[in-house]
Parts: sequence; C-alpha cells; structure tokens
Amino acid sequence: MMLIGTNLSKSYASGKVLDDVSIQIAPGQICGLLGRNGAGKTTLFKILCGLIKPDEGTVRLNSSRPKPIGGIIERPGLYPYLSAYDNLKIFAGIQGARSDRQSIQQYLLKVGLPLDRNDPVRNFSLGMKQRLGIAIALLNDPECLVLDEPFSGLDPIGVSSLIQLIEHLALNEHIAILLSSHMMAELSKCCHFLYVIEGGKMVNTGTSAQLISQHIRTFTIVAENIASSVTLKKYEASVGSNEAKVWCNAVEIPKLLGELLAEGIPVTACAPELSLEQLINRAE
Amino acid sequence: MKSLFFAEIIKLVKQSKTYYAIGAIFVIELLILMTAYYQGSTILDLLLDNLKQSFYFEGNLLNGNLILYIVLNSLWFNVPLILMIVTAGIVTDEYKDGTMQTIALQAVKKWQLIAVKYLIAVFFTLLVILFMVISTFILAYSFFGKGDLVVYLNTLNFFESADAFQRICWSFASGAVAMVFYSVASLTIAVLIKEAAKTWIVAALFLILTNLLLKLDLGTDALNHFFFPKLIDTWQQLFYYEIDQFRIIVNNVLLVLYSIGLAVIGIWVFHKKDIG
Repeated sequence: MMLIGTNLSKSYASGKVLDDVSIQIAPGQICGLLGRNGAGKTTLFKILCGLIKPDEGTVRLNSSRPKPIGGIIERPGLYPYLSAYDNLKIFAGIQGARSDRQSIQQYLLKVGLPLDRNDPVRNFSLGMKQRLGIAIALLNDPECLVLDEPFSGLDPIGVSSLIQLIEHLALNEHIAILLSSHMMAELSKCCHFLYVIEGGKMVNTGTSAQLISQHIRTFTIVAENIASSVTLKKYEASVGSNEAKVWCNAVEIPKLLGELLAEGIPVTACAPELSLEQLINRAE
Repeated sequence: MKSLFFAEIIKLVKQSKTYYAIGAIFVIELLILMTAYYQGSTILDLLLDNLKQSFYFEGNLLNGNLILYIVLNSLWFNVPLILMIVTAGIVTDEYKDGTMQTIALQAVKKWQLIAVKYLIAVFFTLLVILFMVISTFILAYSFFGKGDLVVYLNTLNFFESADAFQRICWSFASGAVAMVFYSVASLTIAVLIKEAAKTWIVAALFLILTNLLLKLDLGTDALNHFFFPKLIDTWQQLFYYEIDQFRIIVNNVLLVLYSIGLAVIGIWVFHKKDIG
C-alpha cells in the first residue's frame, strides 16, 4: 500500500469531525471518498497530506521521495496575478524541483494546458485552474495524489476530460490517486475502490462494482415504446414514453432486460441511478 | 532558503500592491512638498517673526532640510501603517488565495517558508525607506534648495545646513529600524490571525497603542527606557542639540532584538499551527 491512514480521529470545538477512520490506497489505484458536504472528507484529506495533525491515529506513506504526496485541497491555491508558467516555476523553484523552461512546459502539456497562455491565471476557467493545480501537485514526482472535490464547478466536458487525465496518471505513472466528491456518478466512473464517509465515520467501503451492485436499486431503462411493456408491470416502475425508472436489485436487471427484449422492446440503454443517499442509508 | 527568497522576490515584484504602497508614500511626499510650497513661508513667518528680529538665519528657512524633516515625521504613523498593511499581506494573501496550503503540500520546510517571509518583509521595508530617502532628497533639494534647519523639540533647535543633512541621514537610518520593527510585528500579527481585515485592524491598533504608550510615563525606569514603545522615536533624538549617541545605539539595538524576538515567536507559532 502506498498510503495508509489508520484509526484517524479529529475534534474541533464544534465537535468530532473524524471518528476512527481508516483508509488505504495502492500504487496505480484510484480510490474515491464519497460523502455529503461536511461529512469529514476535507479534514481527512488534510490529515493525510500532513496539513493538520490528527488527535488519534497514524498516517503512513510508503515513499522515499522528497515529496511523497501531492494534492489539491478544497480548491487549487494559485497566485492569481501570475501566469500558469510562472506559478509552476515558483512552486518548482521553492522545493528544488526542475524549473527550466522545458520541464515546466512538460508539466503544462501533461495536464493539457496550452503553452501560449501568458496571461494571469485569474483569467482561467475553473477547469484550467484545476489542471494547473494538478500540475503543481505533480511537481517533484509524488507517488500519491490527493484531489479534494476536483469535479465541483466543472461542466460535463471538463469532468470527462479530468477523468481521462486522472486515469492516465494512475495507469501510466502508477500514481496512487485519492479523490473525494459528493457526486457519486463522477467517482463511480473512474474509481476502482470507494469509501463512503458520513458524520465523520466510514460507513461503507468496497470496489465500485460491488457497491453499485449491492446498494443501487434505481435503474433507468431507455427503449422505444417502453410504455407498452407488460414485463414492467411486475416491477415497481415509473414509466414514460421512451424511458422508465425501475426500482429493483441489481441482480434482477439481466432477467428484466431479457424479458423486455423477449417482449420485443428494443432496449438501447440501462444505467444505474447512483445516489449517495442510497450508499449511506443502506449501510446504516 | 535561497530559492524560497527568490520566489518571494518574484511575487513582490509582480504584485500591484507593492507599487500601490510605493505610490502611496510618494503621494504623501508630494502633498507635503505642495503644502510647503504654497503655504510654508506664511506659517514659518508667523512662527519666527520675533526671532528673525534678533537672529540672522542663513538662507531661506523653508528649505530642503525642513521639508526632509517634515517628511521624516510621516514615520510616526503614515509610513508604518502602509508598511504594516503590505507586509501583513505577505501572509494573509497566501491564506486567502489558498497558496499557503499549496506551498505546504510541496517539499518545503514550514519554518523556512515563514522565515523567508520575515526576511522579505525586512527587505521590502528597507527598500521602501530607501526609495523614500532618495525621492525626498531629490525633490526637496531640487525645489527648495539647502539651508539651515529649524526644529521644534521642547524648544526651537537650529542646525546649520551641513549638520542638518547629516542628522537627517542618520535619522532616516534609525527610522528604518523602527519601520522594520513595525513590519515584523505586523507579520507576526498576520501569522496569529491569518485573516487580512482582522490583521489590519489589530496592526493599526498596535500602531496607535505604541504611539500612545510612547507619551505615557510607565512608572519604572526600566519600562520607560527599554519597553519597545519608548524606542520607536529614537530617530527624533538626532534633532536635539546634544546627541546621546550611546542611547541611540542601545535603542536601535534593542529594537532589532525586539524585532528578532517577534519573528521567532511568529516562526514558532507558524511551525506549531496547522495549515488549513
């Protein structure tokens, strides 16, 4: 394992925000941390990155590199009056990482930022700022990357593009990546493993596929003329003209789809409706 | 440390507030010069009318040396206030923009990160004072020329032009030490408070209290001689007829020690505190 957080607890004057939380992540693995706003995700990330000290528990990073872990917590912290190039140069320079033009440009290219933007980053879109934040996090080649709410505020194209970048970093550079979000659909698209946190406690863990199959009970089926289906009448379903929302267990889906096809309903799509509440409530 | 200092220099050069601070000090100088140009002679004539009947003054008393002395008096409040706001921003802006957290996520030692910020605050303060000295000397001597200096400190003190020049130079140097103290104090306040607006309020309060305590009798000789509010007007002691050199040196050394002490407290607190 690259990063292991064991029995972490943290309290503030307002109360306990983390209660005996454990988490671990392997090299090349993408882990997701799901939780509502205020569930304790950011506090956990800050502890894992060494920004705040836990009251109890330990964090172990199995890396001998000068910078074992990089990350973005809450939002990418950038110098708004500097260009992307200058931001990278400053952050590289202060830690003795390579800060020559070629190296800086490589980082910009790695995260898909243009080389010809010399204006201050205050003019950048949120997606571009996130990418620059990731480039800064990747300076000095950390073996672990922690990204807190990286998709918030991004449009669907931005989310898809960021997911591609994250998958590339995990697959090709074997970086252990930990992401947090309250948006389950985004995390389930790219994460191998999911942790669900609620009220400062880890309430659910498992592979993304496991959690979806065990806890998701709402599926959207798209098919022409689905309203005429007899099969759907046997299920709890809300049926529209070309789309139906069905409440059932994941194991029932192959049988349901088979019956729809046998009935002559041409199903073109079937997608689980991912909801964080289901993962939290079913675990409680 | 060197690379951290270099990064701080780049930030200082690229930030508009650096130029606003220098601009603000320049505006103060220009206002003093303009006021002196249009109204200075009238005020001086009123003040010195009787004395002029008994004494001979070489040259015009409204001269460059008097202007320099008036500009020096902005070291009481105007200049330290501007310096405190700018130097506090070295820390508070980093918290506001989230860059303090980004730096803390890099392979950088916390104590080095904050120690360099103290160094840059001192460097910036000295740079501003140097700018103030050079620009004031050029403007004051260009528009008003040289001449004897008259200063009111309990009584009217008169200095010949060459003597006045030397005293002004040394008082700027001593004033720079006081300004460094204020800048370091402001940075330490910023480390403790983190938030810009609150830091400015506390820094302004610190400045006002220091000025008030300077005038108060604190009861004991030790406090009256060695407590920091009693040291910040050392630059003005150069305008007494008899200069107590030993006292001036001791005061400035003490102010430097106070500054180092405040910086050490700030570095220790920053090192111990969580970021975020």
